[in-house]
Amino acid sequence: MREKRENPGDLLQGTLDLLILKALARGAMHGYGVAEWIHQTSEDVLKVEEGALYPALHRLELRGLLSAEWGASDNNRRAKFYSLTSSGKKQLAQETEFWCRMSGAVARILQTA
Amino acid sequence: MTLLSEWRNRTVLRLKALFHRKQLDSDLEDELAFHLSMTEQKNRRQGLNPEESRHTARRQFGSYTQTKERSRDMWTFAAFEGVLGDIRFGTRMLVKNPGFSLVAVLTLALGIGANTAIFSVINGVLLNPLPYRDPERLVTMEQNDSLQNVMDIRRETRTFSEGGGINIENMDYTSGPEPLQIHAGYVDAGLLETLGVPPMLGRMISREEDVKGGPRVIVVSHPFWQNFLNGDPQVLGKTISLTGNDYTVIGVMPAGFAPPGEHPDIYVSLWVAYPEAAPFRGVHFMRTYWRLKPGITLAEAQADISSIDHRLAEQYPDHEGTRKTLVVPLHEFMVRDSRTALLVLFGAVGFVLLIACANFAGLLIARSVGRRPELVIRAALGAGKTRLIRQALVESTLLAATGGAVGLLIAKWGTSLLLSLKPAALERFTGIQLDARVLIFVFGISLLTGIVFGIAPAWSATLTDLAESLKDGGRSATAGPSGHLLRQWLVIGEFALALVLLVGAGLLIKGFSRLRSVNPGFNPQNVMTMHLQLPPARYAEIPPQTQFRRELLSRINSLPGVDAAMITDIPFGENYLNHSLVIAGRPPVPVGTEPRVQTLSVMGDYFRVMRIPVRAGRGFTDMDREGQPLVAVVNESFVREFFPHENPIGGRIDWARSESPEWMTIVGVVEDVKHSGLDEPVDPAVYAPFPQSDEAWRRWMTLAVRTPGPSAGLVDEVKKQVWSVDRQIPVSDIQSMDTLMSVSLAQQRFNMLLLGLFAALALVLAAVGIYGLMAYAVSQRTHEIGVRLAVGAQRRDVLSLVVGHGAKLALLGITIGILAALVLTRLMASLLFEVTPGDPATFATVAVLLAMVGLAACYLPARRATRVDPMVALRYE
Repeated sequence: MREKRENPGDLLQGTLDLLILKALARGAMHGYGVAEWIHQTSEDVLKVEEGALYPALHRLELRGLLSAEWGASDNNRRAKFYSLTSSGKKQLAQETEFWCRMSGAVARILQTA
Repeated sequence: MTLLSEWRNRTVLRLKALFHRKQLDSDLEDELAFHLSMTEQKNRRQGLNPEESRHTARRQFGSYTQTKERSRDMWTFAAFEGVLGDIRFGTRMLVKNPGFSLVAVLTLALGIGANTAIFSVINGVLLNPLPYRDPERLVTMEQNDSLQNVMDIRRETRTFSEGGGINIENMDYTSGPEPLQIHAGYVDAGLLETLGVPPMLGRMISREEDVKGGPRVIVVSHPFWQNFLNGDPQVLGKTISLTGNDYTVIGVMPAGFAPPGEHPDIYVSLWVAYPEAAPFRGVHFMRTYWRLKPGITLAEAQADISSIDHRLAEQYPDHEGTRKTLVVPLHEFMVRDSRTALLVLFGAVGFVLLIACANFAGLLIARSVGRRPELVIRAALGAGKTRLIRQALVESTLLAATGGAVGLLIAKWGTSLLLSLKPAALERFTGIQLDARVLIFVFGISLLTGIVFGIAPAWSATLTDLAESLKDGGRSATAGPSGHLLRQWLVIGEFALALVLLVGAGLLIKGFSRLRSVNPGFNPQNVMTMHLQLPPARYAEIPPQTQFRRELLSRINSLPGVDAAMITDIPFGENYLNHSLVIAGRPPVPVGTEPRVQTLSVMGDYFRVMRIPVRAGRGFTDMDREGQPLVAVVNESFVREFFPHENPIGGRIDWARSESPEWMTIVGVVEDVKHSGLDEPVDPAVYAPFPQSDEAWRRWMTLAVRTPGPSAGLVDEVKKQVWSVDRQIPVSDIQSMDTLMSVSLAQQRFNMLLLGLFAALALVLAAVGIYGLMAYAVSQRTHEIGVRLAVGAQRRDVLSLVVGHGAKLALLGITIGILAALVLTRLMASLLFEVTPGDPATFATVAVLLAMVGLAACYLPARRATRVDPMVALRYE
C-alpha cells in the first residue's frame, strides 16, 4: 500500500540521510540551512531537492535519529530546527564508516585497468 | 531497533495526528513556507527582482504539494482511510443493486443463521461447562447404586473427596387446593455438597440430619419456591405437607440449579422420607455423583472403585456378587446421547453454509463480470491490482457481514424453534442461548465467508487483460476462462454437498418411518393414561390397596363407553422393575445370577383394554384374585428365552428370594410389547395380578382408559371418580398413549426434521446456483446461439445444448456426492434404525431427485435460449 519511492533528486536515498546527519553533526539547523550547507560544502556539486529533503528530515525524526524544535531563525522568523539525538550520532558514525568502505571498494574496482 | 522505535514514534504521531491534525498541517506549512522565503531572499540577494525571486524559488522547490503529501503520509492512516472510502463506495454500489444484494445477503443469512442456531445448541450442550463447582472434577457411575454402598464407598475411597446419590420419587403435596404430585429428590447429605452449588436462602441438609429418625426438613428448588411458596423470602422455617407428613423448609436452591438430568421440586433425606428403602443394599436405585480429589485421574478413580467393588462383592455375595462399577466423567455421561446427533447436524449445517457460500461466490463472479467496464476504467486511471482486489473484498465482506447480522435474527428464531421441538436429550440443558461465544462464532464465520469466498471472484476479476478489455470498451467482456471454470466447479461442489445432505436426510427419514411402523404390540389410539400413587399411611398393606383399585376400576368402567384397567408401569412411561426369576423343575443357579425379567402387576382386563393379542392360554379374569391360585401371563420373548421347546402354559415360576415362596402358574402368553421405545429390544416380561402380589411397597399404578373416540373430556370425570374413592390421591402425568409414544420418538423426529430441513435448504440453494450459472451462460452466449439459429440449428438442438451442459455439471456433482456420502453416512450409523448407511434405494432416489431438480433449473434458461431472435442476437454486438 506504500507509495513507490520516487527518485529523490540526484542523491541516493541512504546517501541523503547520511548527508543530513553529517550536516547536523555541527549543531542544530533548519531545513534550509541543511540544504545550503550540503550545496556549499560539496562546492555546488550536490543539489538537494526540497521535495526529497523535507520527507527525509521527517522520516529521520520519526526514526528517533533527529529531534526537532521550533525556534527563531537568524532573521527572526519562526523555523523548525533539527539536531542529532544520541542514536543519530551513533547512526552517523556507523553510516560514515560503511560509506567509506563501500566507496573505497567501488573506487578500487573502477581504478583497475 | 530503529525500525521498532520508528514504528512506535510513527504510531504515536498518527494517534496525535487524529486529534491535532490542524496543528501538524500548519507546522508543515510553516516549515515549507520558511524554506521558500529563505530561497526567495537568497535569489533577491543575487539580484533578482521580488517577483522573479518568488517565482524562481517556487520553481526551484519542485512540487510543493507533493512534498507536503509525502510528509503528511507519515502521520495519516492512509490505508485505513482508504478502506473507509472503499466501505462507503461499496455500500453505495450494493444499495444501487438491491436485487443482487438481497439475494446474496439472504443466501448467506440462511446459511449463517442455520449454523448459528445449531452452534448455539452445541455450545450449550457440548461446550459450556456444567453449572456446578469445578465441573471437570465431577464423575458419575455407569450403574445406579444403593445408599448402603454409597456410604461404604465414601468411607473407603482414596480418590473421591465427596460423593452422594439421588433418586427421584413422587410425593403428594397436599398443602395446596387440590392434591398434587411433585418430584422429590431423595438424597443423602453428600449430594448437594458434591455438586457444590450453595443454596440461595438458608442451608443444605446436614450429615447429622441425614439419619434414620432425623428431623423432617427439606430444601426446595427455585421453581417450587416461586410457584408453590409464592417466592416468599421469609419461607425458612415454614412447614408444608408432603405425603401425610409435615416438612420444614430449611433452604431454597438458586434459580437454574438442578442435579444432572433431573428437575426435582424438593430435596429430602432418603433416611427421613423413605427409611424402609435406605437400609437395602441390593436395591440399586440411586444415581450417584462423585468429586475427584485434586490431581486424581479417571484411571486412578476407576482402579480405586474397582478394588472397593471387589471388597463389596466378597462381603455381600448375594447382592453385590457381580458388581462392576464404571466411572464416567459427568459431562460425557450427560452429552453422549445427543453428541452424535448434534455433531452430524453440525456437519450437515456446515455443508449448507458451504453451498450458500458457493452460491455467494458464484454471484460475486457474475457480478464482477457485469462491472468489468468500471474495473477497466479504474485500472486505466491507475488503480493497482491490489487496490481493485481490496475494493472487491471490502464489498464481499460487507455483504457477508450483513448476511451474518440477518443470520443472527434467523438463528434467534431458529434456536427457539429447536428448543420447542424439545428432544428429551436436550431438555436437561438449560444454557442454550445466543451468548458471547455464539456471537463471536457468527462474527468469525461472516468475516471468513466474505474474505475466503470473495477473494476468488476478486482475483478472477483482475486476471483478464485489462488493456484488451479496454479496447472493446468492456462490452463483450466475459468472466474469462478462469472465472467461468471456477463457477462451474462451484456448482459441481454444490451438487455434491447437496447430495450428501439429501442422502443423510433420506436415511433418517427412512429409518424414522421404519421406526414409526414398528408394531408396538398394542393399539395406542384413544387410550388415556394417568399416574396414581397411594400414600403409605392408609395403604401400607395389600388389602386396602386392592380395595381401592377394585372400587376405582368398577366406578370408571361404569362410565358410558369406557374400558379401563391398571398396570404398574405403562409402556413408554420410562419406568419398570426387573425381578430375578426361578423356574420350577430347572437346576438351581447360583444366588445372584438368576435371570432377570420385567415385572408388571395389572388389575382388570389390561390386555383387552390395550388390545394386546393373547397368543396362547388366557388373559386375567376377575377370578384371578386374592386367595385363588397364583397365576401369571408371560410375553413371547419370555417363552423364546425360557421355554423355547416346551409349552409354557402350566409352567411354574417364582421370584428368586421372595418373601412368600409360592409358585405362580403360567396361564397365558401375550404378544411382545415395546415397553421402553420402538427401537429397543423387548425384554422377557411377566404380568401378575395386583391382588395376588406380596409387594405392598408397589403402591403406584397407571390407569389406562380406552374410549370409543378421542377422549379429551374424560380426564376430569376420571379425576372425580378417583377423588370420590379417596380425596387425598393425586392424579399426575395425564397423557394419551399416542403422546407417550410420540414423545419417545422426539429425538429421532428432531434429527429427521432438522436434517430434512437442511437438505431441503441445500436442494433449493443448489437449484438456485445452477439456475444462476445457466442463466448467465445463456446470456453470455446469446450471440453464439443466435448464430447457430441463423445457420439452421433447431430449437431442440439449442435446448439440448444448454440443458446438456447443465446436466453434465449436475451429474458430475452427484457422482462426487455419492462417493462422499458413502464415506460420511457411516458416521451417522448409530442414528439410523434398521437402515444401513449405504442403503442403495435411498442413494438412488436421492440421486434421481437431485438430477431432476438440476435439470428443471437448467430448463428455464434453456427455454429462454431457444426464444433468442437470431436478428436481435446478431445485432447485439
